[in-house]
Amino acid sequence: MKKLFILVFVLVALAQLSVPAWMAWARVQTLAHGRVWKFKTAPVDPEDAVRGRYVRLSYDVDRYTANQKFRSGDSVYAVLKENAEGFAEVDRLTTEKGDGDNFVKVEAWWSNDRENIAFPLNQYWVTERDAPAAEKAYVENSRRGQQNAFVTVRVRNGDAALEQLYINNQPLRDYLRAEAQKAQSEKK
Amino acid sequence: MAGSINRRAVRWLRGQLPELVAAGAISSENAAKIEHHYASVETRSNFGFVILATVGAAFLGAGIILLIAHNWDDLSRTTRTIIAFIPLVIALALVAFVLLQRNESRPWREAVAIFDFAAVATAISLISQTYQISGSFADFMKVWLLLCIPMVYLLRSAFGAVVYAIGLIVWLFAREMAFFVRSPNPMFFWIAFLLVVPYFLLRYWKDRESRECTALSIALVIALTFGMGFTADFAKSDLGSVAFAGLFTAIYLAGIRFFPRNDDRLHIVALLGGIGIGVTAICLSFESSWHMTREFFWGERTFQANIAFALEFLFPLAAIAMAAIGFSRGRSQFSWPAAVFPIVTAIGWGLANLCDKPAERWLGTRCSFTAAALMNCYALWLGIDILVRGIRANSVARANFGLLLIAALAISRFFDSELSFVTRGLGFIVVGAGFLVANVLMFKKRSAAPV
Repeated sequence: MKKLFILVFVLVALAQLSVPAWMAWARVQTLAHGRVWKFKTAPVDPEDAVRGRYVRLSYDVDRYTANQKFRSGDSVYAVLKENAEGFAEVDRLTTEKGDGDNFVKVEAWWSNDRENIAFPLNQYWVTERDAPAAEKAYVENSRRGQQNAFVTVRVRNGDAALEQLYINNQPLRDYLRAEAQKAQSEKK
Repeated sequence: MAGSINRRAVRWLRGQLPELVAAGAISSENAAKIEHHYASVETRSNFGFVILATVGAAFLGAGIILLIAHNWDDLSRTTRTIIAFIPLVIALALVAFVLLQRNESRPWREAVAIFDFAAVATAISLISQTYQISGSFADFMKVWLLLCIPMVYLLRSAFGAVVYAIGLIVWLFAREMAFFVRSPNPMFFWIAFLLVVPYFLLRYWKDRESRECTALSIALVIALTFGMGFTADFAKSDLGSVAFAGLFTAIYLAGIRFFPRNDDRLHIVALLGGIGIGVTAICLSFESSWHMTREFFWGERTFQANIAFALEFLFPLAAIAMAAIGFSRGRSQFSWPAAVFPIVTAIGWGLANLCDKPAERWLGTRCSFTAAALMNCYALWLGIDILVRGIRANSVARANFGLLLIAALAISRFFDSELSFVTRGLGFIVVGAGFLVANVLMFKKRSAAPV
């Protein structure tokens, strides 16, 4: 009986360890070997930009709609292409998972007689200390007519890993540091 | 006293008892009495300690989560990944230690179970932050619940099971709050609920009167209520009233059947079921509750929606079966008006659906009015029955609940603006008369009964 308990314990312990480990491993693989895509972020509602300690991201590509209807429960993938400016765009939607580094699994739903999509990478975690400045920076650079924010995403075999949020062509942390320095020198 | 007991000394003394009996120093009867005395003292001191240890573990876990939510940006991804696993590895080491060395200690088992739950949540959250993994809170809860439930069985942790049941409710709500919801399918709730049922049964067979079993049954009843609500919503078939009537009646009957008591008081499960029946009956006494779509199904039919539809019948049928068994055995201790609630509701549902569909969904018809009238009569009957049974059992609480039900019915009709003044007046007269008769009966009985 005791042996059985120990065996069950070992299995449960492995399960509890392997879920976070697998989550990390999948991202490590995608970040290391995936292809880099740049996604332009969409203008945001300032109220909605930061929830807790993450920046709530939305993308230009979220506005893509298609007139093909998928069944509920289908896994829907967006096939990506690069536009003239070097940003990612949706080429088409498919339910077939091929292999390659140009398609991402997306949430899809039927509304207003079109299939709508949402990219899954909508949270960018920031530190407690940086959160207010990050919110300000993201909102100021995601206004209509002044879209200076984009993210880099690594894509591999349908899995997408968020790499970095760029504001004004600088990684978020560098941008925040530069802004803080600017503010300090202005004070002097 | 309980706090000052030296447990090691007690263990020694209990070990000595057989020798003392053999030597003739004390009788075996005395030995049994000593054994019994220390057994009760130990469980009492244990329960307080269990709560303290569990709360301590919960605080420790919450503290770790808060520290980690701080999100140390200066650390590398690898370092943060290692940190994410530290609490989990410690928790698992503790679980192994408890299983091997402290398997008989309830405080250890409960506290370590809660600590492990927190450690799993911490590991998943920190990995998500470190690798910028987006995901809904509902998905997080789902993974967390599935990873934690085996520990409830391994560590035989009743508090763990209660936390799990609360987690199920949190999942139901988290799912609704997703920023767009195509189909809030609640089927996972039922699967996850079934996973904790065997543990509840184990506890029930071991000691159904224990505080842990009671706490767990309360948690499960509340989880079931929310689960049924979301399932009825998902089924899109206008049968929520029957489903809820069945659920609460089943809970009430199960409380009486499976938690019998020697005195006339109700077990908490039966009491919760009874309150549910009362509240649902009052809700259904409003005419607007019966504005039906005149469609058995509405919305998109999917396989899951049909399962939800079938689930709506599960509890009404269970309630009817339990009532029938109670009736056939001829020793029904339950209130008949409460037991027939699902049938009355089903009749009301049928009546409300007799008329043709009104031009606008929210318009009342003669049929919805008839159904509401039926439920008013029913609620009054139920209130009087509870009152009378309360008087018979000399239970002031139950008599008051009956009166409360009748009063709630009267107040509801007063504010129900959809009824004409004449109907409202007539209803009021009936309710008021019932109220007076019941009061007179109660006081007659009370003054006649020996104090």
